[in-house]
Amino acid sequence: MSDHHPDAEIAVRVRRLEERVVAAGLTDDAELDDILTRLLAGASPLNGARIVARAWVDDDFRRRLLADASGAIADVGLSMGGGLKVQNLGVVENTASEHHVLVCTLCSCYPIGLLGPSPSWYKSEAYRARVVREPRAVLAEFGLELPDDVAITVHDTSAENRYLVLPRRPAGTEALSEAELTTMVTRNGLIGTAAV
Amino acid sequence: MSRVNDVGGQTGFGELPVEPEGPPFHADWEARVYALNGALLRRGLYNLDQFRDAVERIPPQEYLAASYYERWLLAIESLTEGRLTDV
Amino acid sequence: MSEAPRFAPGDRVRTSTVDPDHHTRLPRYARGHVGEVVRDLGAWPLADEGAQGVPDAREEPVYTVRFAARDLWGGGDHWVTVDLWQSYLEGAS
Repeated sequence: MSDHHPDAEIAVRVRRLEERVVAAGLTDDAELDDILTRLLAGASPLNGARIVARAWVDDDFRRRLLADASGAIADVGLSMGGGLKVQNLGVVENTASEHHVLVCTLCSCYPIGLLGPSPSWYKSEAYRARVVREPRAVLAEFGLELPDDVAITVHDTSAENRYLVLPRRPAGTEALSEAELTTMVTRNGLIGTAAV
Repeated sequence: MSRVNDVGGQTGFGELPVEPEGPPFHADWEARVYALNGALLRRGLYNLDQFRDAVERIPPQEYLAASYYERWLLAIESLTEGRLTDV
Repeated sequence: MSEAPRFAPGDRVRTSTVDPDHHTRLPRYARGHVGEVVRDLGAWPLADEGAQGVPDAREEPVYTVRFAARDLWGGGDHWVTVDLWQSYLEGAS
């Protein structure tokens, strides 16, 4: 084991910065804890999954979601407000002939409220560089092989519009309840790196 | 500006770092950086566009060598330099 | 007061080739290319001005513009959409 612990050095730098920010009266421990609690408690892919399940069982909701997602998600008790910046939501729907996948090539913009904190791979240079150029190969690395006749659209999140993928409802799920359908939707499905 | 972060379409980055589902923060300091950024944005010390700009201005070799939240730390350090006068 | 929209879904637009000396949200790979407007996302404060600390950054229409991979890189059968502020765009025939 090396004597060099870069993590420990960074932790010291962070602690010093935090002390100076608190000493300057710009924040306090209570606020810092609150910010983390809101993230960890409130932001989750379950939110995105609930939107999808509702769209699968309610076609009117699905249509409104595709036309104006920011407004429609109020139906399931969600909103795009409450964050640091006003943002819009755009939902893109997978079909038999279309598959959608999301990225932010410039940084790593992500609908945290609806999907929870983003996965490391989403933030990586490899994903951000490659998915816009060779999406089929990238999806194959996730184990998703799409037929050649399925057109792929990659959405680069470059402004204040955040995206969510509406995956295709799996076959044979007609008898499932909305709650059961919610459990079928994965975070990767909502980003487009999985079928559902 | 053609900055190091603008990687769309670039080649040579290799395979994706696919990792099993884990916690959002790999170390406590990452969570503290996240929270600090949230507080400073709320206070209006800087805005989100200025934050992204600060991340992009990290010298390319430092940017690529730094982990995600290390980049945030570098950006916040540059944005707060000389502006944290003790009360 | 925001700028009026100059484009509508279905319009073909060409992206700027300018490499500004400030923060901007037009990725390099999408510069100088022709795409189709697929959606009007309404008006948003221009990120370029926000990053320069302009207190009330001017609001401009933002559009989802779709590009063919073949046009961007000379190959690929997929599409790429990028959400772009109006000042990054001009009309293309």
